[in-house]
Amino acid sequence: MVGWHGRRKVLTILAFIAPTLIGVTVFSLYPLFLNIFISLTNRGRFYPHPDCSKTLWKVIEPNCWLGEPPMGLADPFSLRDPIYANYTSLLGGLFTKEALLALFFIFVALSPILIAWRLNRHYARQLTPPISSGLIWLAGVIGVLSLGWLINLPDQYQLLLDSGDFIMVNARTILYVLVCMPLFFTLGLVMALILNNQFLRARTFFRVILIVPWAASTVAIMMTLIWQFFFRQQGTINQILSVFLTDYKGPAFLNRSIWAWVAVVLVNLWYTYPFFMVTLLGGLQSIPVELYEAAEVDGASWWQQLTNITLPLLRPVAMPIIVLSSLTTYKVDAIVWALTRGGPTAGAGKPGATEFVMIHAYKQIFQTQAFGRMGAFAVILFVGLFAATLYSLRITRITEGVYE
Amino acid sequence: MNREPRLITKILIYIVLIAMTIFALYPIWFAILASGRTGDRLYTFKLAGMFLPTEWTWENYRALLQDTAYLTWIKNSLIVATCTAIASVFLGTSGAFAFSRFKFRGREAGLILLLAVQAFPGILALVPIAQVLSALGLYRNLLGLILAYMSGQLVFATWMLKGYFDTIPIDLEEAGMIDGAGPIQSFVYIALPLARPMLAVTFLFGFMAGWGEFFLANILVPAPDARKTVMVGMFQMANEVNIPWGQFAAGAVIVVIPILLVFLWVQRYMEAGLALGGVKG
Repeated sequence: MVGWHGRRKVLTILAFIAPTLIGVTVFSLYPLFLNIFISLTNRGRFYPHPDCSKTLWKVIEPNCWLGEPPMGLADPFSLRDPIYANYTSLLGGLFTKEALLALFFIFVALSPILIAWRLNRHYARQLTPPISSGLIWLAGVIGVLSLGWLINLPDQYQLLLDSGDFIMVNARTILYVLVCMPLFFTLGLVMALILNNQFLRARTFFRVILIVPWAASTVAIMMTLIWQFFFRQQGTINQILSVFLTDYKGPAFLNRSIWAWVAVVLVNLWYTYPFFMVTLLGGLQSIPVELYEAAEVDGASWWQQLTNITLPLLRPVAMPIIVLSSLTTYKVDAIVWALTRGGPTAGAGKPGATEFVMIHAYKQIFQTQAFGRMGAFAVILFVGLFAATLYSLRITRITEGVYE
Repeated sequence: MNREPRLITKILIYIVLIAMTIFALYPIWFAILASGRTGDRLYTFKLAGMFLPTEWTWENYRALLQDTAYLTWIKNSLIVATCTAIASVFLGTSGAFAFSRFKFRGREAGLILLLAVQAFPGILALVPIAQVLSALGLYRNLLGLILAYMSGQLVFATWMLKGYFDTIPIDLEEAGMIDGAGPIQSFVYIALPLARPMLAVTFLFGFMAGWGEFFLANILVPAPDARKTVMVGMFQMANEVNIPWGQFAAGAVIVVIPILLVFLWVQRYMEAGLALGGVKG
């Protein structure tokens, strides 16, 4: 834009941005700051009201702006002593010697797979790698399994879980993401490869049919309530099984920790594979056909074409959606709430088997009403999610550069 | 990769496709079947009845619409979703245009700020948002819910629209400027008409977000029936002691099918929005 400078320019731009800016400030930014403030107090069920006689409160607390709110019988809430007490009570367990040691051991146990990854990236630049990438991955997996057996990985994991709810919930959620991502990606890729086959009849028809679950994810809570009935004791799955097996009496799947986990993964797979399928299909169609023709001439098998042409060239498409989908999977809420509500619980006061971060937060707000503690929880998550979002943005931008 | 597959491969591919079609459609088909079944069972004990419409009655639909507050919930959801969509498009468009077209100090910072806000999910912001709403006297009120949804949708709308404005060539506006149009005229008369399809899509996404949301609605507008949204109402219906399954399935079908069709229609814009917004809305 040329020809306009100075105050006029500033005012015009402000006029353009003002609606967005005001909306974001009042209903997003201010709550964010209020949340940080709440996280420093003992606000909760037992101390619900602000003490509006203090100047600090008068400025920050919205309930104080329009005169004194009704106080009720309870004491007003106050700042914690020390002021970061909510944070230490959430994270404190992480900094004990045992928990740090367990974390270290888990890292050591997983290191072979990281080494395999680095090695593969190293060899990927060479024309004739000395060992095939599959072998390296295999060695990595065997390394993880043997090291995990050697230092007793499940025990270390359990030790970490015992050090506090926050760590337990986060470890579970990360494990959930790690279980989900390969499944989402594999199913999405398989369906994309099938739909990309030009000799297939009714490709458009199948493409539309297969993205229906993605559409259903906009009303996830409702569709998941329907899914929930498949897993009941007299649900569809058990009914079908009982037709084939005599005297079969199936479990109520959602009351068993393992099955509840499987259910949450399966339902999320249903919602998410179309997103992977559609995006990867777009990626596949952008790969030049000449590459495959050349490979064909050289006598490359289907599998060799897949691993040496398709997968490397899909990388710029695959990376952003994996990162994005990891973020959304980490924030999974409606699916779990409608299926298990975080259950089945291991005991009173303990987070249930499928209680992931968002469910934990919601339950804390809904049931325990420990707002101060939840504020601290939210602030810690926010820092992590923001960092992850910036990272995902970087990856997305890199991809744009590739195709421009 | 693109040679004609052998017959055995072809058969395998079609088996996978048919299995996946059943996997993709069965939950919805199941709801449709259950909505037409007599009695208050969601299941039938005949295997055929689980896959084919062996019986059909409109009784569940009639009971749902006449004997429950379902229509009120639907009305509330329609109001909330429409207002959310209108508000987010209305507040987001001019900002998106500015972020796309003008070079000014703080532009990058502003975009990052929007992302930062986006990274703070609605559930985590529930307590402060409830505080703000109760201070404004809007707690337990549909207007409060609309404002809470809008805050989330506004960022998404701004990013989507900014991405679309980026793809509109600037030449037209430059031509307009030579003819003496200022930035406001070029926004209103040139950019806005060109962005009409994306405005519609952003509106639809805002609508779907408001229509399907449950967690905020459950806390910010918990009761009574006259103010519940349909997601909250149906969730509570599914968790009652004696659940009218047939009515529940009928309600689910009414809520889900239209939104499926709308989504399938605007789906191709979703990818663009995801890539641009960096985050799913």
